[in-house]
Amino acid sequence: MSQPKKINLAEAAALVQDGDQITFSGFTIWRRPVALCYELIRQRKKDLHLFEVQGGFHSDLLVGAGCVKIWEGAWMGQEMLGKIGENLARKQISGEILVDDYSHGHTVGRLMAGALGLPFFPCALAMGTDIFNPEYDQLAKAGLRDGRHRNIPAKKYIMADDPFFNRGECALLPAVNPDVALVYAPIVGDEGTVRILSQSYSDAEVIKASKTVIVICEEIVPDSYLRRDPAANLASGYEIDYIVECPWAAHPTGSQFYYDADADFLKAFNKIREQKAFDEFAEKWIFGVKSHEDYLEKLGVRRLEELRASKISGYSSRVKRGTR
Amino acid sequence: MSHASEYCKPGEFKPIDLLAAAAAREVNDGDVVFAGTGLPMLAITLAQQEHAPNAVCIYEAGSIDGRPLHTPTSVGDARCTYQASKAAGLFEAFYGQLHSGTVDLGFLGGAEIDKYGNVNCTVLGDYNHPKKRFTGSGGNSDICSYAKRTVFIMVQEKRRFKEQVDYVTSPGWRVKKWPSGEWVTKQEVYKSYFKGGVSTVITDMAVFRFDETGEMYLDTVHPGFTVQDVIDNVGFKLNVSRVSGQTLPPTKKQVELLYQVIDPEGIFLP
Repeated sequence: MSQPKKINLAEAAALVQDGDQITFSGFTIWRRPVALCYELIRQRKKDLHLFEVQGGFHSDLLVGAGCVKIWEGAWMGQEMLGKIGENLARKQISGEILVDDYSHGHTVGRLMAGALGLPFFPCALAMGTDIFNPEYDQLAKAGLRDGRHRNIPAKKYIMADDPFFNRGECALLPAVNPDVALVYAPIVGDEGTVRILSQSYSDAEVIKASKTVIVICEEIVPDSYLRRDPAANLASGYEIDYIVECPWAAHPTGSQFYYDADADFLKAFNKIREQKAFDEFAEKWIFGVKSHEDYLEKLGVRRLEELRASKISGYSSRVKRGTR
Repeated sequence: MSHASEYCKPGEFKPIDLLAAAAAREVNDGDVVFAGTGLPMLAITLAQQEHAPNAVCIYEAGSIDGRPLHTPTSVGDARCTYQASKAAGLFEAFYGQLHSGTVDLGFLGGAEIDKYGNVNCTVLGDYNHPKKRFTGSGGNSDICSYAKRTVFIMVQEKRRFKEQVDYVTSPGWRVKKWPSGEWVTKQEVYKSYFKGGVSTVITDMAVFRFDETGEMYLDTVHPGFTVQDVIDNVGFKLNVSRVSGQTLPPTKKQVELLYQVIDPEGIFLP
């Protein structure tokens, strides 16, 4: 049992090696480790293998920046703030990346098997769909299921009979154990206890399944404070390897009780349809800022104050979300 | 539902209002409803405000029976968990609730559908060389495969109502049994896991249901459209022998609820 090490953003990103399989905390446009993803792009990571329950701003960003070789997931987009992940769409169509689709139940199950140290997860969800069509298995087609790639299982799935109750076939889906988990949590204790303040998404499984866990947080607080209410905590310090303190690290995604999702920022990002426009975005918000603090300064106090969440409701009532 | 005079006359509602009202009617009081982002959120909330106060809503990011004060823009939104019985995660939503057989009704969207209710929300064209990508399944496929009933809300276009969809994201009543790929009934694939399936498709023109053999038929046509309009906007031979009449327009109260209470910020509604 050891306590996590406190490091900075650049050191955290340097832990990710080219070709690593990585996964993330959060859900679509909530609690994503965006500051860390920006830093991966600054450090020009490449050939990353993303496994995620579903994508969002953070991963469509990594895809747009050319850091990703393989994307396995169930969904990509920004919900009502940009339905389709346009960078993934563009690069899947051009053949620049390998995309392998699952359902949410499948990605959640695969991650849970990894979290539990089991080889596979049994599941009867989404049977009879093209997710199981062998002709569409992109990793097999690329010759990557040959047993020589540590993060790629020999098969996408198998259908197996129930040997105990004769209930019929269900799917066995291979476990996933990513090399690195990039986790955003609002609060972490100085001994590493992790607290989130709303839905848990798949964050506990992401932490347990991954070999190295980096948690980036709004603030580090005394562990003794978080231990007053252990039922409210997500993970223990000894499950975490590294902590980075970085306020507003999830922007433009939201963090309940800290800030809302930045609808204008996300909608503007979702208008990008070609590489040139992406590169301009990256120049403005990633390469054109010297540090995370610089990024926040560029966003400006007014914008950040609008996004700041109510400590009572958990979200902002000042942010304009619709047309009225 | 109350007196007919309360129904809106043509011109007193927008197409999306009727869509939300028709979708809300699919919710029974007491249903456990698993809803996706967008119009499904409006429909379940409208039902809860009116005839189905005991309907429970689950959003896939993990909020159980939330009672949002403000309409969420995402199923992972902070707003979803307000007054929820539980703020859990996806494992609870997809396994603790859905796989366990608890969910009565799924509310989903899709880009393409065939006459057996197979839905595509992944790609257009051959998956190996797609022409266009959509979001991918997310929970669409899981919910459609495991909820007792599923309602799809879609746009009525010939290119979307196809003989065969480009990619089966979510299973209808006749599906392929993998890995062999032979066409069989959904019941044959799911066996003891079978819970039900797609029951209704609601578009901007009409409401469709599925017969005993799992084939889609036209049930009602929205005010302002004819059966022929619908036929002209369906890419397969549509069964129109069971049309039961016109889709009820929304009531004045429903329109008021939609604009004043459910979506005053104009997130989904114009």
